[in-house]
Amino acid sequence: MNILLVEDDHSVGEFIETSLGRIGWTVRWLMDGAEGLEAAFGGDYDVIISDRMLPGMDGLSLVQELRNRGDQTPVLVLSALGEVDDRVVGLQAGADDYLAKPFSFAELQARLEVLARRRNAEPAVATTLVVADLSMDLLSQTVQRGEQLISLQPREYKLLEFLMRNAEQLVTRDMLLEGVWGYNFDPQTNVIDVHISRLRQKIDKSFEQQLLRTVRGSGYILGVDITDS
Amino acid sequence: MNPLQVLTSFTFRYMLLYVLVLSAAVFLVMALLYGAFSYSYFGDLQGSISDELQTIEVIYTGQGLNGVEQYIDDQRIQEEGLRFHYLLVDDNYEKMAGTLDYWPEYREFGDGWVSFGLDTTELVFASQDLEFLARTVDLSPEYHVLAALRYSDVLGDIRLVLATLVRTTLATLVLGVLGGYFAAAYTLRRIDEVNSGIDDIVHGDLSQRIPAGDAVGNMRVLIENFNQMLDQMQSLMHGVRTVSDNIAHDLRTPLTRMRNNLSILQHAGEGDPERVQELIDECDSILATFNALLRIAQLEVGNRAPKLESLALHELVEDVVELYEPLAQDKDIELYKELNEVQIEGDRDLLFQMMVNLVDNAVKYTPEGGKISVWAGPATQGGSHLEVCDSGPGIPRADRKNVFRRFFRLEASRGEQPGSGLGLSLINAVVNAHHGKIMLLSNNPGLKVKVSLP
Repeated sequence: MNILLVEDDHSVGEFIETSLGRIGWTVRWLMDGAEGLEAAFGGDYDVIISDRMLPGMDGLSLVQELRNRGDQTPVLVLSALGEVDDRVVGLQAGADDYLAKPFSFAELQARLEVLARRRNAEPAVATTLVVADLSMDLLSQTVQRGEQLISLQPREYKLLEFLMRNAEQLVTRDMLLEGVWGYNFDPQTNVIDVHISRLRQKIDKSFEQQLLRTVRGSGYILGVDITDS
Repeated sequence: MNPLQVLTSFTFRYMLLYVLVLSAAVFLVMALLYGAFSYSYFGDLQGSISDELQTIEVIYTGQGLNGVEQYIDDQRIQEEGLRFHYLLVDDNYEKMAGTLDYWPEYREFGDGWVSFGLDTTELVFASQDLEFLARTVDLSPEYHVLAALRYSDVLGDIRLVLATLVRTTLATLVLGVLGGYFAAAYTLRRIDEVNSGIDDIVHGDLSQRIPAGDAVGNMRVLIENFNQMLDQMQSLMHGVRTVSDNIAHDLRTPLTRMRNNLSILQHAGEGDPERVQELIDECDSILATFNALLRIAQLEVGNRAPKLESLALHELVEDVVELYEPLAQDKDIELYKELNEVQIEGDRDLLFQMMVNLVDNAVKYTPEGGKISVWAGPATQGGSHLEVCDSGPGIPRADRKNVFRRFFRLEASRGEQPGSGLGLSLINAVVNAHHGKIMLLSNNPGLKVKVSLP
């Protein structure tokens, strides 16, 4: 994975560079917005991470300029605490995702993976989602595990669809809130976990291979656990 | 402006009282004047009559009955001065001489004083009821004489004056009340303007000022003083905000760094994984509290104005209820909802957060097997109305004011339930930012939270 990072805060930049380096990703780190824009054109990156407040050129202008010039590289915009509500503005400017500081590394990685995958995905419209022996027919809106038909509530269906679309990778609670419930809020309790465990009851309970796993403190992964087999 | 509001206003009532007292005073003065005037007029009249009768008695003593008859006849011809009317009668009250034809029916006042009315067509050649003041004197046991003076002309004048004065008083009263109404309406309008200005400012927009407009005098001074006070308050608030922003920034940076380092440790597989995770969780919870605190502060200070959009409140509430249904089922709590279609202008994310906090609290505090009811719909007086009722322990009346304070937690729930004590503060801040109202009531047993939004 090839990442361009435009961030003028040393602590945050170092954290991202180090953490992503550890999982084997290549990070080019720049501190100036204008330099970042030029680098974005010059190189081929899977995802660009840009802070909002930058010297030279701010993050939103960077995205806008990039889009104006026809570059569709996914951009994740970072914002300082308290600017959470500018999320909509960020997305309108052409950013693909928005993450408020401070964030956990798992959150960042999960979102970057989603963005990178979206970029590399086939543009063809899938009508069926498949994870191991679990399959979802998007047209008839039915879910099957092996030969067994699974009946789901509308919200459970949406939840599963989101997880299947992002299969084999970490999906954080915040991503679920935004993607499945469509609200940007802070759940007070384990309310999301309860929904997940409901879903798990239906798709995993009577099967030997468990597909929906909880990553403690981070989120969930739907997929075949490699360490399991 | 609502007339009832004007009529019940302090200014109007004050003006009304003033006008009434003034009118009463004017009326009293006029009544006294009338009394004094008529007293002196009748005094003069009585004096003249007594003098005339004395003259007649003197004539009778000197010249006898004939002299009196002669005198009375003479007077009949005289046209000058006071026009006395006389009547001399005998024992049987038969006329012997005089200008009156018969002894009239009269009202007696004692000491010979009488008054009577006559249709005296023959006297003045006009059909007119005239009023007389008269006195009778017995010249001898057989002869009686009566001398009378008309007073109705003068009295009529007095009555006319009196009637005019009464009308003037009434006019004063009406004009005074009308003037009072407009003065009160004007004052009320000015006060309302100032009030709504204060209301806006209290609800978050500290940068606003009350427009002085065309206000003059004390009202202008009041507005200017108030605005000055706001200037001071704003600069103070700004100071506090700067300090808290700085603290927030200063604390956030090391906390984030710590969390990031822990995260790197975790990924590198260093240290006891359980302990590292615990520390990360601890950091997250501190940062979450921090976030909540900053959100509340932003809403309260008015930094973050709600992003208003038209939204279907019943659908938003439905989403929250649906979000909490599994959690409620796990606790065997019945989650009842009654949602009626209602559209409002509001901030989607903020209202969702508010609703989440409300329902989350209800689920948290309702014991197993309990019941929670959620109600949403249009309010009868416009706007919308929300209600979340639970069958938990409720909040004692004395604590209901305090629960909106940051970090306030009921003694009973301390340690028992997780939570930062910021949930209700945030709810309150969201409601206030929407210019709504929130009420905590008893659900007998349990808590009933009522929220109304415009």
